[in-house]
Amino acid sequence: MKDHTDAADETDTSALSARLAAMLPGNAEIRITGVASLGAQRRTLFLDILRDGATTQAVAQIASQVLDPADIEKEARLLRAAAKAGVAVPHLLAVDAKAGTIISEHIAGESIPRRILRLVDAQADLGSKLTSDCGRLLAMIHQIPTEEFHDLENLGNAKRYAEEMEELLESLTAPHPTFRLGVRWLGRHELDAPAASVVVHGDFRIGNFLASDEGIRAVLDWELVHLGDPMEDLAWLCLRTWRFGADDLVVGGFGQLEALRTAYEKAGGTWRAKAFDWWTVARTLWWGLGLARQAQAHMQGEVNSIVLAASGRRVVELEYDLLRLMQD
Amino acid sequence: MLDRPDAATLLKAMAATLSDEVLPETSGGTRHAVRVIANLCRILEREFEAGPAGPERTRQALAELLGQDGTLPELISELDRSLCEREIRDDTGFDSKVRKLILADVERRLAIDRPGYSS
Repeated sequence: MKDHTDAADETDTSALSARLAAMLPGNAEIRITGVASLGAQRRTLFLDILRDGATTQAVAQIASQVLDPADIEKEARLLRAAAKAGVAVPHLLAVDAKAGTIISEHIAGESIPRRILRLVDAQADLGSKLTSDCGRLLAMIHQIPTEEFHDLENLGNAKRYAEEMEELLESLTAPHPTFRLGVRWLGRHELDAPAASVVVHGDFRIGNFLASDEGIRAVLDWELVHLGDPMEDLAWLCLRTWRFGADDLVVGGFGQLEALRTAYEKAGGTWRAKAFDWWTVARTLWWGLGLARQAQAHMQGEVNSIVLAASGRRVVELEYDLLRLMQD
Repeated sequence: MLDRPDAATLLKAMAATLSDEVLPETSGGTRHAVRVIANLCRILEREFEAGPAGPERTRQALAELLGQDGTLPELISELDRSLCEREIRDDTGFDSKVRKLILADVERRLAIDRPGYSS
């Protein structure tokens, strides 16, 4: 389970509870029981819904600054389509796009990477179970019909993606020659056979799914969903940065690449090895640029955050990974 | 005429106090911040112990590659400019020389920021 820490740090908890209760049908009363996370983009609260003498556990996700209501609506639409396609996701209870709020059922499970890896250490077959779940779930996500998602951003074009990485690099105030080499590498290595655009989760990795001793219980954090190349999701899942020190186990620090590939193909996905390598470089570069951007936000006074400032000292890890990946 | 304890000794003591005494008393976001700050103290301790020789070696290697002198930030900017001016399929082997030079510098910085990462 996510951390059930102190009671919600909300200045006006009763007003928030009333607002959340009004989103639900019937005469519901809401009790905020804990804070799961206080992200930069959104906070996640644990709730008890009291209705007709029964108590239901639920989760509310509230956007910090109300993002574009269309984005919340898009995420809700996507969660419904994913559920329909058989992907394990939390069942939606209510959506208020204008207030940037989604209420969904509570699913028991562990999301904190280091705790999941401890479960894997303690239980012999869990690593391979999680790995095959990852392959199967990603194949199912990539088969969600795209007809109703034409409004999603399409990041599947490799040339365009490389240009976007260059724009991100130019937006940094300090020069980063390692990342310049990365942008040049992406430009030199084109994708052999581009895939048809599919629904891409965009942030599918350890930390963004709930796990139990039976495997993956639910796929979370859909806010970066877009259309694109399915290999983007598979490469991101396997980035060294998401192995939390268990570097020999390429898949999230818990599984082997070959097992992921087998599970992905068995569930109907097509594995493209060269595209996987290209997206591994592209996503490593993207995350390196992202960490540098976080540190810059602190240095330029946009935010005052020791955590974001510290991201600047993690950039070198991504530089190392990138240089090791670009052998040719 | 030297202040004692020196920076490295103080940073080591700061990291230990944060981890052993402050951390157990905190929770949630504060706990995460304390962990991050203790780690930053260890990074700064290693940076202080390593001294200026490492960055100077990188500066000299850059000056030799680029055929001009300057401070480290100036030469990094010049390297970036020089990469931008070249065709992406440049066949002089420049990208590969740059990669080798940066990799040596990255390994030096990893020994400070994240020991063990490059092994």
